[in-house]
Amino acid sequence: MVIGLFSLVGCSESLPDYTLRFGLANAPTNLDPRYATDATSARLNRLLYSRLVDFGEGTIPIPALATWRELSPTHYQFDLQEPRPLFHNGAQLSAYDVKATYDSILNPDTASPHRGILQIIARIDTPTENTVDFFLKQPDALFPGYLVIGILPANLIANGHPFHDHPMGSGPFQFLERPDDTRLIIERRADGQRVEFVRIPDPTVRTLKLLANEIHLVQNDLPPELVTYLSAHEGITLQQRQGANFAYLGFNQLDPVVGQELVRKAIAHAIDREHIIQFVLKGRARVAQALFPPEHWAGPASLPGYTYDPAEAKRLLKEAGFDHDHRPTITYKTSTDPFRLRLATIIQYQLDQVGIDVLIQSHDWGTFYGDIKSGRFQMYSLAWVGVKSPDIFRYAFHSDATPPVGANRGHYADALADRLMTQAEQTLNTQEQQTLYRTLQARLLDTLPYVPLWFEDHYALVSTTFTGYQLSADGNFDGLNQVRWLGSPSAPPKHITRLYP
Amino acid sequence: MTHFLVTRILSAMLAILGVICLVFLLIHLIPGDPVEVMLGESAQPTDKESLRHALGLNLPLHQQWWIYFKGLLHLDLGTSLFSGRAIVDLLIERIPATLYLSLVSLIVAIGLALPLGLVAAVRQHTPLDYGAMGFALFGMSIPNFWMGPLLILVGALWLGWFPVSGQEGWNSVVLPALTLGTAMAAILARMIRSSVLEVLGEDFMRTARAKGLSSTRAVLHHALPNALLPILTLLGLQLGGLLGGAVITETVFAWPGLGLLMIEAIQQRDYPVVQAAVLCISVTYIMVNLLTDLLYAWLDPRIQFTTD
Repeated sequence: MVIGLFSLVGCSESLPDYTLRFGLANAPTNLDPRYATDATSARLNRLLYSRLVDFGEGTIPIPALATWRELSPTHYQFDLQEPRPLFHNGAQLSAYDVKATYDSILNPDTASPHRGILQIIARIDTPTENTVDFFLKQPDALFPGYLVIGILPANLIANGHPFHDHPMGSGPFQFLERPDDTRLIIERRADGQRVEFVRIPDPTVRTLKLLANEIHLVQNDLPPELVTYLSAHEGITLQQRQGANFAYLGFNQLDPVVGQELVRKAIAHAIDREHIIQFVLKGRARVAQALFPPEHWAGPASLPGYTYDPAEAKRLLKEAGFDHDHRPTITYKTSTDPFRLRLATIIQYQLDQVGIDVLIQSHDWGTFYGDIKSGRFQMYSLAWVGVKSPDIFRYAFHSDATPPVGANRGHYADALADRLMTQAEQTLNTQEQQTLYRTLQARLLDTLPYVPLWFEDHYALVSTTFTGYQLSADGNFDGLNQVRWLGSPSAPPKHITRLYP
Repeated sequence: MTHFLVTRILSAMLAILGVICLVFLLIHLIPGDPVEVMLGESAQPTDKESLRHALGLNLPLHQQWWIYFKGLLHLDLGTSLFSGRAIVDLLIERIPATLYLSLVSLIVAIGLALPLGLVAAVRQHTPLDYGAMGFALFGMSIPNFWMGPLLILVGALWLGWFPVSGQEGWNSVVLPALTLGTAMAAILARMIRSSVLEVLGEDFMRTARAKGLSSTRAVLHHALPNALLPILTLLGLQLGGLLGGAVITETVFAWPGLGLLMIEAIQQRDYPVVQAAVLCISVTYIMVNLLTDLLYAWLDPRIQFTTD
């Protein structure tokens, strides 16, 4: 029986030497772009599917499959660019596929999590096989930026094809095999270069596998000290780019302590972000003052921010009615991730220095996130990942967007901020819109629904047996389009013997 | 014997029914909404309501249970909220890996524990005994999350004999099996020692020696078979635990088994998968215990007489 099992599961088919093995912390959960919401699935689906619109320099929407014209504030016409790509089954992508994809998302029976934002679409027409007309229920200048979902073949949608299991797109890579839930193999259509994604949850084991050359690429999701450790070895190269994932401290505005603006400002002045970045994040981050970084088209070029100033923090606390004998106590919720816990402990210490007692509560991710979504918190730390469109402001800060309607989890309510959001959404002038969003972010920094912390950098550690990988600005996997195999990766890199004599 | 068998199987079926009810209720009692998990925070209330209706979550609990139970009878465990895949397929993918790891770990455990326990019992209060029991203490004290990376460092990086993790070739099972097997062997060796020691003082052992049997033959042919019953109970429990998914070891070694599946599902709040995995683990545990009981009766006929 054991021998039978041995032969059944013990010997997996070996892949060609040129296969690049990519170590992931989380496996992609859904390869159907209509349903995928996690970052890994979204990044992988970019390789498997093409989309109408992408984001370019400054996170401005740019044509991908199609160029567009705004025929009226509620009518956008998209023209597919020639030559239109082929799906992996050989069929040519057409406007009918675009319509079928978005109609499917808008169908409530599909239960797509992307329907919310796309409900602004009133109707989709396809006058020719190259042209798609989107009619909106109301004007929205940000609309083209919403059309970033991978296009599926219309006939397969109609047949109920299991895209989550057998993706069929028109992207630069095609799906080959999913031997089990922890592994996924895709192949580059241009030259047959294979990439195997391997889920390795433990960061230490991911590090060891990279050292042993069992995987060739790791991107993000490693503790900073492991990144430094790996980057010091020959056989591994480190690539690093500024990121836009916004880490922040969130507050419950209904709470008698952190609901006070003075207390939040005291917290902002009490946290030494520069030193945390330098010593804990090993310099792989930059201080954030707003949700969007300066290079984003709607991001503020410069904001005054809150400098590390414990004396000012103490003064603000005193003004709020707290002193040595009457110290505020704040419960700080975070996840059980050891690195996040370490950051929480440092923040706890720094707040203690100005006279704030902090109790840390760490929960597994599901419980923690569930608590945050339901507003069961006083203070928490989290990050917005992959945010590109300024519609996030309404979703996260508008007074009407408290859960379950939106993600204003701290019940922030500011009439001026609400007004700025509405004005920015209604204007069709990009310049004016930019000014309004920048003013809004200055207002948010002044009233502090969040204390901005930092934007963490993206990094990739690549085995030197492969070349050509370029880390992208938003941490996606598009660099796999250029990656090339250099030689025999079968022998472990020489440095290992020196590492462990 | 038939009566014994029927009684045991019926009680196991009753236990499984209890587990089904408990798992169903627990999943419905814990905080969280599967509809929100599927649609996300930005979903409209009307969409949430229509999906709740489509999934049958608006029905009274007893009706939901009945639908769930009927599904189970057809081996329909539902679909994953995240991947959209049939849960039966997910389990079919993962169970062989767990089964394989469990059996190899058990072989490692028995292979280590049997000689250690026997030597410790036969050479009681000698350096061999202290050495064997020291090893057992060592094995019990080291947590798997530490033992695993240590074995990876030595076996995969220093020696380069085995892959670091995953299921990549015939030898990839060695390190996770050693991690699990040594911990099990430690407990098992102590149990073998105490059981054999107890038997060594029995009259039939004195008789065996008196009729001229060598010490080895007396231990292997008379002491060990008579000491097997408590060892078998422990083995059954350990195997049940292993088949239920060695969560930590599977996570450390990225072993694509049931334990890793359950951890991922818990982290993502993929309720139907958690429900199915817990059910699968519970049923496996009950079945292994049933088999142990039956084996017990087969090894020691007195047990079935007692029951009859």
